[in-house]
Amino acid sequence: MTPQTAERAAPKSVEELCALLARCDREGTRVAVCGGETLRGMGFPPTGNELLVQTAALKGIVAYGPADLTVAVRGGTTLKTLASRLKRERQFLPLDAPKPGHATVGGTLAAGWLGPRRHRYGRPRDLLIGSTIVLADGTVARAGGMVVKNVAGYDMSRFYVGSFGTLGVLVQANFKTLPMPGAARAFLAPLPEGTRTRALAQLRALAVEPSVALWIDGFEKEISGDAGAEGRVFVLLEHTEALLERATRDLRSALGRAGVPETQIVDARARDMFDAILDAYVSTVADRSITYRIATMPDRLESCAIEARDVVRRFALDAGVIADVMNGDVIVRASRSDTRDLSLKLQVLDDALHQVEPRARVIAGDHPVRPALRVWGADPPAIERMRALKSAFDPHATLNPGRFISGI
Amino acid sequence: MSAGVEDRLRGALGAENVKTAPEDLSVYSFDAYSEGKLPTAVVIPCDTRQVSAIVKIAREFEEPIIARGAGTGLCGGAVSVEGGGIIVSFARMHRLLELDAANRRAHVQPGLVNLQLSTHVAGAKLFYAPDPASQRSSTIGGNIATNAGGPHCLSYGTTVNHVLGLEIVDERGDVFTTDVDDAGYDVTAALVGSEGTLGIVTSAWVRLLRLPEATRVWLAAFSDIESASETVSAIIGAGILPTALEMMDSVIVSAVEQAFHAGYPTDAAAVLLIENAGFEDEMDGCEAAMQTIATQHGALSWRSARTQAERDALLAGRKGAVGAIGRIAPNYYTQDVTVPRSALPKALRAVEAAARENDLVVGNVFHAGDGNLHPLLVYDKRDRRQVGAVLATGDAILRAAIDLGGTISGEHGIGYEKRDAMTRVYGTEDLAAMARVRDVFDPQRTRNPEKIFPSGTRCIELSVPA
Repeated sequence: MTPQTAERAAPKSVEELCALLARCDREGTRVAVCGGETLRGMGFPPTGNELLVQTAALKGIVAYGPADLTVAVRGGTTLKTLASRLKRERQFLPLDAPKPGHATVGGTLAAGWLGPRRHRYGRPRDLLIGSTIVLADGTVARAGGMVVKNVAGYDMSRFYVGSFGTLGVLVQANFKTLPMPGAARAFLAPLPEGTRTRALAQLRALAVEPSVALWIDGFEKEISGDAGAEGRVFVLLEHTEALLERATRDLRSALGRAGVPETQIVDARARDMFDAILDAYVSTVADRSITYRIATMPDRLESCAIEARDVVRRFALDAGVIADVMNGDVIVRASRSDTRDLSLKLQVLDDALHQVEPRARVIAGDHPVRPALRVWGADPPAIERMRALKSAFDPHATLNPGRFISGI
Repeated sequence: MSAGVEDRLRGALGAENVKTAPEDLSVYSFDAYSEGKLPTAVVIPCDTRQVSAIVKIAREFEEPIIARGAGTGLCGGAVSVEGGGIIVSFARMHRLLELDAANRRAHVQPGLVNLQLSTHVAGAKLFYAPDPASQRSSTIGGNIATNAGGPHCLSYGTTVNHVLGLEIVDERGDVFTTDVDDAGYDVTAALVGSEGTLGIVTSAWVRLLRLPEATRVWLAAFSDIESASETVSAIIGAGILPTALEMMDSVIVSAVEQAFHAGYPTDAAAVLLIENAGFEDEMDGCEAAMQTIATQHGALSWRSARTQAERDALLAGRKGAVGAIGRIAPNYYTQDVTVPRSALPKALRAVEAAARENDLVVGNVFHAGDGNLHPLLVYDKRDRRQVGAVLATGDAILRAAIDLGGTISGEHGIGYEKRDAMTRVYGTEDLAAMARVRDVFDPQRTRNPEKIFPSGTRCIELSVPA
């Protein structure tokens, strides 16, 4: 939630940002940091008393060596800008965040976004080889570099990923890029009654692993195409041409064995459909929805997804589920567009979903009741060290105060 | 005072698991790079509870703690620099605690040998991807401390990509756990590669991968090392990322041939060893593309290992390359730097020039696909001139790597050896950010002191066990 009253600043250079943060830190002005505001349903909302610092002007590609497969990019650059540049060299960076036209590199990393292709290409933090961060006191710290293997000192770049702007503002990220797969093909298959369990097991067992394999229940408005009695599965294959043929055959027969008759190939629109699904992860229903991400284990995925869905339905709310077969994530959205009493239910729903998995966390839903929810899930065992880390980096609690776990 | 420590440690672990005799301690005063000084004691705990007890005792007696795996490190990371301190050996904590094949992960103790983990899980058709050359003896705990790499890191990433969570004994002796899926700061990422300066890993959850369906190994020979390194850059630049892309020069090739009869062409100036793991369907296409590039860059020959035995021989030669160098000279020093991949030819020229200037023989065996160089400087440590030349050459190579936009360690770590070089790649604020993390986990600087962070003077002797 972005308070309308908040004062905003959009520094045009790193130097300007340093000066601004140093002043705020000195004068006791609290700062809320934002990129493209595409993940503003994550974390606790700003209180409205902070200075809202936007990174959008700190954008652009700093260095790109296609032959090195490395790129350095400013934090405010949108994922789309970066992707377009890399695409010209037939390379890509699978950060897989929603709304790439607005999402910034810095924001995506700070939020610790985890996309569905990470099992194959690595987590965003594992693609990051260097970084520049402006700390709360306005000093600049660099880490890593422009090489793909580097063990000189602590891996500070990885450490900053997911810190939600509470340790500093990421102004530059250096990544290793990947060569684009030779060919991609997407499939959307409606699941008839009684096929889900077998279909998900078959997908998990595929020898040629898909880049993405999702079970989707609901989200009919956001993701086009037919759904069956037990929802549908989306599969994205990315391979060399030679392997894609075999992967396609294997997938068709695997789904066939599970009793899934129709498999709709969406070759030409593979990319668009994948983007639509990523957008669905954080899509909201006015201010009447809330979406959780539940990290579980692949072998518990289906039971966890069903349990979470049934919890939502028990509250007479509409449930949308995206279950990530390869990574073991469940995205569950609770919504009700025709009722005003969602706030009353949300706190009880929050409790119930945390019974399913204590680490369930909110990723979307700009709802007024959000401050009362456990938006980050249960505190981690290392919470005391995390508090100490926050104090070490931001002793005056200048950056994003109160928006992260347990009041950090 | 020190008798008190020993008694307390013996009480906690049993006398047989506390070593204090100088002849026992001296075994633990080396790694594969250097000789440190004698610690106060070496302790061999059997579980987390004992590690915790050790830390509490050490704290009471103000003894630093140095965690140690197999001692195969190459940067003086697991030895006592100033003398004293308690070295914790994980020789008795070497078990695979749990294999969760369904979720492709394993819970292991830090003393488990890297290769044994893959052997243990092979029955489930899984393997552990990071494969440092020392994998027959180095431990998962040591690998975590240094964020170890290996040939397969080109496609699978280094150790940090494969660690899902840790159990840590902190500086007070308390135990806490981390999990990459926990909310909050990525403490796992900070701990992996921290060389034992932030806490002691007492167990780890690691990611396992499916064993590949097909593996192929190719060998390309070149008349000069530049053509070979340009081939590497061109393969990567063409968007081909094989599982491993390794290079050896003629010095290494002849040493390996003498030692292993791996089947490397001894008349070539450089040999590229390429491994690709995946599916049979894509192998021919992959080979054709790489062979074309190699031919365009003047490859003298291109060979495909046809049988499992041929593949194993080629790969075993690479794994044993560093050891084989012992046939050339009594001692060697391995440098470890990384440069941007397109800078490989320039970096190799700089290595050659530095060695020539100091009148040393250098062999190159390295992870070319990652731009990670390992020049091996061969020498005789009884010759003071040669020792000085090795230090000067090693330093010139560091300088060259930095000038080319590279870094001072790709996979071996900083340890004691390179702590003073840290200021050449990082500024004060950059190091201060690392120190902020250290302050939280080790405010007294008693976890593996004298490592990573610069300061002080070089006082341990460069040497190599025979």
